[in-house]
Amino acid sequence: MSKFRTQNPGNQPVWVNTSNCKACDICVSVCPSGVLGMVYEPTSTLGAMISIQHPEACIGCMECELACPDFAIFVAEKGEFKFAKLTDESKTRQAAVVANKYRSLSEKGAI
Amino acid sequence: MATREVISNGNELSALAARDAGCKFFGGYPITPSSEIMHEMSDLMPEVGGACIQMEDEIAGVAAAIGAGMSGVRTMTATSGPGISLKAENLGLAQMTEVPLVVVNVMRGGPSTGLPTRVSQGDVAQAKNPSHGDYKSITLCAGSLAECYTETVRAFNLADRFMQPVFVLLDETIGHMHGKAVLPTQEDVAAGIVPRKVFEGPADQYFPYGCEHDQPAVLNPMFQGYRYHFTGLHHDGRGFPTEEIETCRKLIQRLEDKVELHKDEIELNEELFLDDAEVLIVAYGSVSLAAKEAIRHLRAEGIKAGLFRPITLWPSPQDRMRELAARIPKVLCVELNIGQYRDEVQRATGRLDINGLFKVNGRPISPYEIVNKVKEL
Amino acid sequence: MAFNYENYLRLEKMPTLWCWGCGDGVILKAFVRAIDSLGINKDDVCVVSGIGCSGRFSSYVDFNTVHTTHGRTIAFATGIKLANPTKHVICVAGDGDALAIGGNHTIHGCRRNIDITFIIINNFIYGLTNSQTSPTTPQGMWTVSQQAGNIDPTFNVANLAIAAGASFVARETVNDPKKLEKTMVKALEHKGFALLEVLSNCHINLGRKNKMNSAIENLSWIDSITVSKKKYETLAPEEQMNLFPTGILKQDTEAAEYCDMYAEVIKVHQGKRKTITQDDFKKKI
Repeated sequence: MSKFRTQNPGNQPVWVNTSNCKACDICVSVCPSGVLGMVYEPTSTLGAMISIQHPEACIGCMECELACPDFAIFVAEKGEFKFAKLTDESKTRQAAVVANKYRSLSEKGAI
Repeated sequence: MATREVISNGNELSALAARDAGCKFFGGYPITPSSEIMHEMSDLMPEVGGACIQMEDEIAGVAAAIGAGMSGVRTMTATSGPGISLKAENLGLAQMTEVPLVVVNVMRGGPSTGLPTRVSQGDVAQAKNPSHGDYKSITLCAGSLAECYTETVRAFNLADRFMQPVFVLLDETIGHMHGKAVLPTQEDVAAGIVPRKVFEGPADQYFPYGCEHDQPAVLNPMFQGYRYHFTGLHHDGRGFPTEEIETCRKLIQRLEDKVELHKDEIELNEELFLDDAEVLIVAYGSVSLAAKEAIRHLRAEGIKAGLFRPITLWPSPQDRMRELAARIPKVLCVELNIGQYRDEVQRATGRLDINGLFKVNGRPISPYEIVNKVKEL
Repeated sequence: MAFNYENYLRLEKMPTLWCWGCGDGVILKAFVRAIDSLGINKDDVCVVSGIGCSGRFSSYVDFNTVHTTHGRTIAFATGIKLANPTKHVICVAGDGDALAIGGNHTIHGCRRNIDITFIIINNFIYGLTNSQTSPTTPQGMWTVSQQAGNIDPTFNVANLAIAAGASFVARETVNDPKKLEKTMVKALEHKGFALLEVLSNCHINLGRKNKMNSAIENLSWIDSITVSKKKYETLAPEEQMNLFPTGILKQDTEAAEYCDMYAEVIKVHQGKRKTITQDDFKKKI
């Protein structure tokens, strides 16, 4: 595995390099499909870390990868992975993640 | 060695020397009394396929010249005192990044706007430390028309040897002096060119700044497969910023030592009638011409005067000056400033009784003024 | 396999020392993607940066790179380009670097129309030195050097560049990295002086004291002050007042490029053509 982990770790739509992530929340904010969420991580400077919560909902739009200032999140190329379609359920989940200040919903109340 | 005769002036001879020494880039800005160098370069550079550009200010003039130098070509700028003041920060960058560059300064009256069209030697101290921080200046000073040519050529070779800016100080008198000069041939100058060192091994083993403690950086030309980084920040062997204590210390010490420990390759003086001298006259630049004339008159009257003329002002010929001052009773510094080099003679010789004949009204010092001063001593 | 960023970055320098969420990283990413899409050889590229957070840009990319003094990127780049006319020279500078201390070089780079791509990262503040007023800081914002609120009027960077004669002028934001990359490709392809202003966030040194506490809030503010050029043109003047149009604002492919003209100068001096006259230029005065 290369330092940047630009290689797909194994049939994933989207994957992260946590050693590059500075926990700015931007990728979570630009995801249209509620795939991502910040989770509690005491060793990170800002006490949080990016995580992939719903890979099955990823539509491969690349927004997270391009908006990440730190080369910490990567999306599979078209053809490399069969991405999902954007659904109402995904949109609702994304709105809830945003309302939860970009924190993963599964960790609600944990922080 | 074959020679040729040229009728020209100091500024134009300096430009001619640049071309003959393989200079391919000139960046500058108009300033009296150095502008003729840019005028000449605007003809000479395109002729040899190089480039000459008049930039928007003095700062940009030296920056463009350094940029071209970073990319690997021999490069020059020319200006006068106020221009050096403006260029100072970027001259510091060239010292720090070890980019070879020739800077011709045709000195005029200062400080500030001073006497733009009149002569001075007021930039001698400035040439030693134009920018903040520690480094070692290399400053040459032409004392004749021929030397406007030969010292410029020498400056290019020294710049590539030591990988740093080299100053050539002319003054308004010598820059605008018109006459015959006996020069080495273009072929001999070309044969004497020693280009900067380059690294030829694999790129992953290239450490441009990872050199011996007394050696300059080895900077390959850009665009040839060795992609490295220039920065004015303290940097490591690869050229990348660092604050590591030992790396920082070594870098700055090396900037000093690469020159200090090889002064013998830089030092150049002229000595005249010193064997039996009882009066030692120290003079450089155009003033030395008056001093030579004065010494002829003094000798005719039976006064044993002799001349020591540093052609390399910085690093100063301190050992030689100490030897001379130890045996010659009277020492007189003649300068077109208020003793900028006398301070160095005092420091080098440890003698506080160094006499001075100084003039700062923009006019040259005549031989008779020197004769009279010597008689007063 | 995602895009091979590793090919263009100095991995040992990563992660960058920019703050979390800093737009500089987004621009860095768009830049290497743009270079890749144009298929330019890494050895043929020189990136020149100045002082400030953006000054570190050059140390992260695996090209021939130069980190110069404050404000002088264009001056150094002019020397590099004129000595190597066939190579790609790109300058990256912040708003303080390019418009305050380096303002003179910026306008003269535009005027000469020398083939340099100039990316100005405009985050409306001096970030590295902790929040002093820059020439683009909006009036009324808090800065550490004007704690009562900034009273200095601002430059409109793109308008300045157009007036100064740059042949390609564009403005994009870090909010739309896809469009940023696309416009960057156009800027890099353009022959002549191409100035690309990228509106970026500094939530740390602009945002925190101006009610934009996070990168996302700062980015939303940038979103609120920008519209596409197409939409901007349909707005009434009073509606345009506090908005920046984005997109390619000027593209003149006919203007004579400086290095091309210098090649003509060389021909004159080598006896290959007569002297240059006004007839050599479309624009006479």
